[in-house]
Amino acid sequence: MNDKNTTQFNHENVKVGEETSPTLLRFFRRKWLGIWQSNPPGMGLFVFGLCIAVIMAIPIVYVIWRSLFAGIDRWQRLLDERIPQLLWNTLSLAGAVTVSTMIIGVSLAWIVIRTDIPGKKAWRWLLAMPLTVPPYVGAVTYIIVFGRSGWARDLWQSTPWLVNALGDYSINIYSFGGVFLVLTMFTYPYVYLIASASLRKMNRNYEEAAYSQGMSTSEVFWKVNLPLLRPAIGAGGILVSLYVLGDFGTIAMLRYVTFTAAIYFQRASFDTASAAVLSLVLILLTVAILWIESKTRRKNKYYQTSNTYRKPLTLKLGKWKPFVLFYVSVVFFVSVILPIGVLVYWSRIGIRMGALDGRFFGFAINSLKVSGFAALLCMLFSMPIIYLKGRYPSLITKVIEKLSYAGYALPGVIVALGFVFIFNNHLPRLYGTFYIVALAFVVRFLPQAMQAGEASLSLISPRIDEAARSLGYPPWKVMLKVILPNMLPGVLAGGALVFVSAIKELPATLMLRPPNFDTLAVRVYFEASESIYHLAAPAALLIVLVSVVPLRYMLKKY
Amino acid sequence: MFKSKSVLALLMVALFAFITVGCSSEQPASGEQGDSESNELVVYSGRNERFVQALLEKFTEDTGIEVLALHGANPLQIAEEKNNVRADIFISNDLGALGYLDSKGLLQGSNPEGIETIPADFRAEDNAYFAISARARGFIYNKDMITEEEMPKSNEDLFDSKWATVENGFAITRGGNGGMTGHVSALRYQWGDEKTAEWIAAIRANSAGIYQGHGDIRRAVGAGEHSFGLVNNYYFHQQLVEPENNNVGFIYLDQEEDEMGVVANAAGVGLVSGGPNEGNAIAFIEWLLLPENQVAFVGESLELLINSQYGAVYPAEVQPHIVDFSDLKVQDMPIKELGNYFEDTTALIEASGLDLDLK
Repeated sequence: MNDKNTTQFNHENVKVGEETSPTLLRFFRRKWLGIWQSNPPGMGLFVFGLCIAVIMAIPIVYVIWRSLFAGIDRWQRLLDERIPQLLWNTLSLAGAVTVSTMIIGVSLAWIVIRTDIPGKKAWRWLLAMPLTVPPYVGAVTYIIVFGRSGWARDLWQSTPWLVNALGDYSINIYSFGGVFLVLTMFTYPYVYLIASASLRKMNRNYEEAAYSQGMSTSEVFWKVNLPLLRPAIGAGGILVSLYVLGDFGTIAMLRYVTFTAAIYFQRASFDTASAAVLSLVLILLTVAILWIESKTRRKNKYYQTSNTYRKPLTLKLGKWKPFVLFYVSVVFFVSVILPIGVLVYWSRIGIRMGALDGRFFGFAINSLKVSGFAALLCMLFSMPIIYLKGRYPSLITKVIEKLSYAGYALPGVIVALGFVFIFNNHLPRLYGTFYIVALAFVVRFLPQAMQAGEASLSLISPRIDEAARSLGYPPWKVMLKVILPNMLPGVLAGGALVFVSAIKELPATLMLRPPNFDTLAVRVYFEASESIYHLAAPAALLIVLVSVVPLRYMLKKY
Repeated sequence: MFKSKSVLALLMVALFAFITVGCSSEQPASGEQGDSESNELVVYSGRNERFVQALLEKFTEDTGIEVLALHGANPLQIAEEKNNVRADIFISNDLGALGYLDSKGLLQGSNPEGIETIPADFRAEDNAYFAISARARGFIYNKDMITEEEMPKSNEDLFDSKWATVENGFAITRGGNGGMTGHVSALRYQWGDEKTAEWIAAIRANSAGIYQGHGDIRRAVGAGEHSFGLVNNYYFHQQLVEPENNNVGFIYLDQEEDEMGVVANAAGVGLVSGGPNEGNAIAFIEWLLLPENQVAFVGESLELLINSQYGAVYPAEVQPHIVDFSDLKVQDMPIKELGNYFEDTTALIEASGLDLDLK
């Protein structure tokens, strides 16, 4: 089979390069085969994959390029005045939220997996539910409840003993504390889900060994369980801190300025050079976080053996039961009941006032259109990359794969900024159409489609490919006709994930949307920042409802 | 297997249908560059969406021309897109922004029917832009928290840090806001850059809240979240119409004998040079100049009409509080002069850090 492929390749090159020296040609061919370990992919497939990867990476490269030529003056001014403050705002918030989500996420995972808490099964998915509330929607609901003229103030002021004891209502949601609370409550499930998955796989043998040494339960937790959980906590923490770095909606609504917000506001007043400079700093921060994580993970390696696996013991809560139940309920109330309750309350008012009019459905259709298009493109684009990676592992495929992940680790603001540069300057035809919004979504969310598809490709034996290839199919045809139908469920799941992420996406949509193309997310942002809650709530509620779709997928995965 | 294959086929068909439908619906917009036969008008607007949307819908109703609106647009977007002009009309609440765009050659003159109704002070010589409604800057204050006597009365007063200590403090907008930009331009005309920069630093430090827009401020002051806030006068009018939290008053700034007079600005429209639907853009301008539509331009904003004789109708709660433009002591800088300050003003605000601030 390999021979056949080589000869095929051979012919192509001879045809194209008749005039070049055959020796040189042979040299390159040997190199090429060396890279692929004598199993190169078909040219069509390879070029398609390569193109996708390049498209994915261009916006970020372009932003970096722009920032390097922003001029020394601008750099100096930003470094002196802007950047130190933004660094502090951004890093302190990311650090605080990451630590608190780790504590909440791990403790909840522990309680749900390892203790005899009543309603164990129900809690398992109830506690993952905040995942369905995009943090900026959560922020809107918290403003309604805790804002300077929110429900909490009314309640407080009408409770005489509270006013007497503590004075007038003094909670300020527009503060570090407010942003911290909102981001923590709506991102802890990342840690929670990954930690529960890891806890479920944990082997009882280690604990028993520790108990036999006379350790107490808490000692076992700190010395045995926690180290084994370390990779899971790290992975969850990375997701959370990257989320905080890239978040726009929450911080903008709660009037806290981090790098992402600063980039958006710079760009909104069309100081694109400054926006590019700030973006470069943010990119460096992201890379630094990824690097720190990989560094610390390498130092701690723990192995779990599977051959003697035994399910971990369920701990009896005993007298702690009411306390633990209270803790779990409080988290659930604050992160699920409260926001969804507020949205339902205001949606009812809004609907009675005629919020579900033609404009609303127009916005919903726009959301559907752009997210659906992005999802289809992601399904289409993810296939060749997964297939290349799964069947033709090599340095080149690794690079292609890494490039495809470029948008994932970076905030939508930066992806959008790159798109503005490129399309406004070089592809004006597409600038200001909804296609570039969809394309920005593809850059951001392609990795979600890839991960989902990859899982199902790994279940398909390469033998099937070989059989098809032996019948004379070229690789792209094998992929389309044989592999794709078999991994369709995975690809569709990936598409669904992209669709849901795209519906929620805010900053890229804000920056790239053409005239008359507001989406639900954009409307939530505008109406809420004008405090017109009866119009913001129905759109927000619809986004939350749609977001339930990936919850099932997430729960199955972890 | 057959089933999943047909699903796949369906999916592919759907994808291609989607792309082709999308392309064909998208094509006319970009395909008919400069063609006045198109049935579209692209409007970029820097005004609050709620003031503009009804006007645009009325235009579509009256003429059948479909309006593609981009609300919340920054004037510099017109400048950035100059190689790829997409907008036909720019609506602004800052005449300075329009003047700036015109000075950069981004707007184009015309001779629309009805333009003579706009006083010469409020339009460009070649009519590339003109104003419809005027507004004045001042403080909205919450009468439950502070009395008229206790309130600051001039721009100069805001240097004093004692206003940081009034109950719940006071509110301003971020520097990127069009109203704030115009305000700072006026101060630069009056005071020069150095003193103005100090003023920006003072309000940035002393304010308790820095908001995205004026709508937030009027609501916050009405609800007692701040004692007062720096807004345009019509936001006061709007708050009076609210069913609750409407016990508010308004101070027109610098009205004393030796003071500079109130900072005024105007909202209006500009004809973007080389826009894709020029014929429709002229049609829009002539439509807008009809007295009835000048009144509609004020709409929900409750601004003052430049042609007050056309009789904008205000709600009963607002009417007693309307102060005619002619009764105010207005800063002596001609409003059209604002455009010459626009670019340096944004630079000055940015240097002070206020453009990004929110708190």
